[in-house]
Amino acid sequence: MDTNIGPSEMLMHLGPQHAIQPGPYLLDLRLKGESVVDAELKMGYIHKGIEKILENKTYLQGITITDRICYLAAMSNNEVFCGCVERLVGIEPPERSQYIRVIMEELSRIQSHLLGLGEFSTDLGFVTMFLYMIREREEVLNLIDTVTGSRITQTYLRFGGVREDFPEGYEQKTMSVLNDLNKKLDQHEELYNTDRIYRQRTVGVGTLTKEVATELGVAGPPLRATGVKFDVRKDDPYLVYNDLDFKVCTQKNGDIFARIKVRLDEVRESIYMIEQAFDQMPQGPLFPEGTPYGRRTPVMRVPPGEVFYRVEDPRGEMGMYMISDGSDTPYRVKIRGPVFPTMQALPPLILNTYIADVAAIAASMDGCTSEADR
Amino acid sequence: MIDADYILSSLTKTFPNDLSESKIESDMRLTSYVEKDAIFNVCKHMLDNLECNHLSCECGVDYPDRNELEVVYHIASYEHPVVITLKVKLPRDDPEIESIVSVYWNANWYERETYELYGIMYKNHPDLKPLLLIDEMLGDWPLRKDYEGFPNKTSKNLV
Repeated sequence: MDTNIGPSEMLMHLGPQHAIQPGPYLLDLRLKGESVVDAELKMGYIHKGIEKILENKTYLQGITITDRICYLAAMSNNEVFCGCVERLVGIEPPERSQYIRVIMEELSRIQSHLLGLGEFSTDLGFVTMFLYMIREREEVLNLIDTVTGSRITQTYLRFGGVREDFPEGYEQKTMSVLNDLNKKLDQHEELYNTDRIYRQRTVGVGTLTKEVATELGVAGPPLRATGVKFDVRKDDPYLVYNDLDFKVCTQKNGDIFARIKVRLDEVRESIYMIEQAFDQMPQGPLFPEGTPYGRRTPVMRVPPGEVFYRVEDPRGEMGMYMISDGSDTPYRVKIRGPVFPTMQALPPLILNTYIADVAAIAASMDGCTSEADR
Repeated sequence: MIDADYILSSLTKTFPNDLSESKIESDMRLTSYVEKDAIFNVCKHMLDNLECNHLSCECGVDYPDRNELEVVYHIASYEHPVVITLKVKLPRDDPEIESIVSVYWNANWYERETYELYGIMYKNHPDLKPLLLIDEMLGDWPLRKDYEGFPNKTSKNLV
């Protein structure tokens, strides 16, 4: 960024520690009056070197590390890692395990969206909604906790299956919580839609068009809010998503309001998918029979090869490129997180907006610095 | 209908001498090695003519046994589900390649990351500087296989 400031211009650092940020990043702004004329984003404050760590851990230890990429999406990070290893080894989880994975990943998506909506609302000063969203999210976290034994970093998936089966009566409990959530979401959406200040701050603000969004490489809800029907669950189906009936939630306007609407719709869609998955789920073993894979996989060597596997994270397309050289640790793991391109698209997005809208726009993208830095 | 077959035949027709070891894994997956001087034009051709408008990922891989670095591009599309893996081999002691930022805008950060972690120099990159690492670690290339970590930063002395 050019730091020579002209008349009536000033430079401002937003971060690395700021109340509106989901994690530390430094946003340098050049302001002319109240408008942003130039912006630059600096990352790396919580770079953990996860790709290098994974090269030095065995495959089973690696699952635990992938939780820590982003704790909100621990389930889909596990899925992308385990999916890569399963494709290299050539095993497929039994159908029951696949349905359990779908249910848990959709629950994880619901809680991630609820926290995203809540955080976004506080950044707008809409604290009532934050408390509502956190209250609903805690119910969903309880459901995840019941099966996995922890609220966020679950380490639940295993190669070829899942760690635990559902406990007795889990379906009834889940569906009662989710049906409740469905009703409350309608109320919350009405609160959003009828709040005059909220509408003034979101409608027509931070607009991405279809062409710009695809050029910037954005994925997930910010992309779907512009009308692009891109969802890995539909385009490149994995697990049993092919057998489920669901639609890709899109909006046309591409502004903050549309992004929030897409997230609300996706929560409803996830509830619908979980309901179907419970109905269709067969009985059976959790791990493929006749293989050594189980809850406690011994030291395993993975045949040489390479694979690129992608799943739909709550925030967009999550991919992993894994190379194995036949030893018990991966040769190379590249994590293609959905937040990395989203964060990259932030500076162009906030150009020529008001400084007061920067917080709202940044929060509506639902970034996670931990994942972008890895 | 654009699938892996169609893309491969289009690429081999346009760039007959630049592709090698092409492999179709399924209808949706294609892997190929590309000569390093041709990668910019191959990417441009894919964006303009084959609807591959989404750079999913770009990363480096280190092969000290072969004394080579590889740059791997995963190019997908918002229109069709094909994922194309393009690989470029670079000599390990002088890794230099044309930047594709002017084709895919979001390659910018991927290339900065690959540069600081592997030491791959991108020609014509608009702003090639470290992204995630502190400035003092520039030149250590920490994701190369011979990086021993703190405090023995050996690969700095090799390059």
